[in-house]
Amino acid sequence: MGNSSSNVGKITLILIISVVIIAFLSAISNIVKLVIISALLAYILEPIASFIESRGMSRLSATATIFLFIFLVIGVLSFVFVPVLSEEMRALHSGFNNEKAEIVISRFENFLVSNLAFLGVRDLDLLGKIHGATAGIGGWIFTHFFDAASVVTNMVLTPFIVFFIMKDGRAFKKAFVGILPNRYFEFSLYLFHKLNIQVGNYLRGQMLDSTLVGLLSILALWLLDVKYFFIIGVFTGLANLIPYFGPVVGATIAVVVSILQTGNFNMVFYIIIAFVLIRLIDDVLIQPLVVAKSVHMNPLTVLLAVLIGGKLFGVLGMLLCVPITGFIKVVVHESITNYSKYREA
Amino acid sequence: MNKLWENIFKFHKKETDSIDNILLKIPIFQDITNRELKRIKRILHQREYKKNEVIFNQGDIGLGMYIIVEGIVEIVCGPERQALAELKSGDFFGELALLDESPRSATAVTKAPCEMLCFFKPELLDLVKRDPKLGGKILFKLAWTIGERLKRTNEQVKETGYAGKKEQLNS
Repeated sequence: MGNSSSNVGKITLILIISVVIIAFLSAISNIVKLVIISALLAYILEPIASFIESRGMSRLSATATIFLFIFLVIGVLSFVFVPVLSEEMRALHSGFNNEKAEIVISRFENFLVSNLAFLGVRDLDLLGKIHGATAGIGGWIFTHFFDAASVVTNMVLTPFIVFFIMKDGRAFKKAFVGILPNRYFEFSLYLFHKLNIQVGNYLRGQMLDSTLVGLLSILALWLLDVKYFFIIGVFTGLANLIPYFGPVVGATIAVVVSILQTGNFNMVFYIIIAFVLIRLIDDVLIQPLVVAKSVHMNPLTVLLAVLIGGKLFGVLGMLLCVPITGFIKVVVHESITNYSKYREA
Repeated sequence: MNKLWENIFKFHKKETDSIDNILLKIPIFQDITNRELKRIKRILHQREYKKNEVIFNQGDIGLGMYIIVEGIVEIVCGPERQALAELKSGDFFGELALLDESPRSATAVTKAPCEMLCFFKPELLDLVKRDPKLGGKILFKLAWTIGERLKRTNEQVKETGYAGKKEQLNS
């Protein structure tokens, strides 16, 4: 009796502490997001730091070297690509204004209204919606990536946090494990080990995969002479981090831009073929090489995770839901496998 | 220097020296330099156990080895907890788990309050990546230690087999 009431007390205390922690984290959600993104970046860069360390450098020097290299690359890329990128962004932000495209869209709208009237299709205002959507995309990118205050804060804080996580990550982990009770100590380290292998491989693999898909998309769209090829390619690469939805979104934007640019559907077929080819290269060559040995998840689980992540936390939720689901899967699987043994302890 | 501070530093140095001495007597850390020893100490976990506390159970997934800095540990086996060995300060156990993830073959329980140093597989793998020279040294010594234990076990099996045959012939 005494034992069960003490258990109820413990569970209540744990629940209260959990609620307080969740409430606190929601109150500082922006900082939490920043820390999560920084931790992921540090995690992705970790193998490079270890490699440099293996060449005889200290951890501090290895981390500093990576940062110097990244700043150098960003500096060079800024000179080369920022003028192109900003021009494309400005054009995208102001929306499209192509008479030919407007004629094509009006014709398409008339076709739909006259043929699908029996379905109740009338007054679609496609042109207005497309104008709104394209300006909306530009506006969204501006508010999310080019909001001056947040850009400056993130540009200063993110590298700072990444640097310290990379430099002192092992000490943080050791300190965290140090406060755990002896009973769960070895199992916790085992979980960390499994997570590091499976989720770590997934994150690094996805990052490399998205970079390659982004580069292939830029190349394909440039060859097809699609306007804003650079920004659409970068966006396709980033969107590729979101399973299932990402590749479709990239292709759709390219198709819409091509129709608005040329005022006809001539390029649509080639763009679709290019994206199908990129998808094939990704599925057959890149994915098996870079995402192998990572956590295996049922496609339906991934799809649901993406939908729930998107609904709850927007784009960031869609990006982070798969590694988080992988994390939960590894923790639950290993805990169930080992639970009976630890209960005996 | 103030006497109090002097004593604190002396005490700290004494403790570090004793850990260093214990580590240098462990076969897998022999032949390493002072700099390498410092590096190893940074990745070891220091834990304290009460009397009669289970360190790990037979059947648990093992992740690495334990080095006794202070205290007594009993290794027991089976449901009746048949005592296999009693280990004291400077001894180590569980090193096989550095190589594989097979379940622990026995249970380790403390017989007195213990201070332990724990060396685990993820840290060893990380060390091999970051410092291949030191990692190689440790892996080589680990293989040697396990080889030695295997030789000793073979000898014991031979002796037991020989004694058994002798008993059979006598009867």
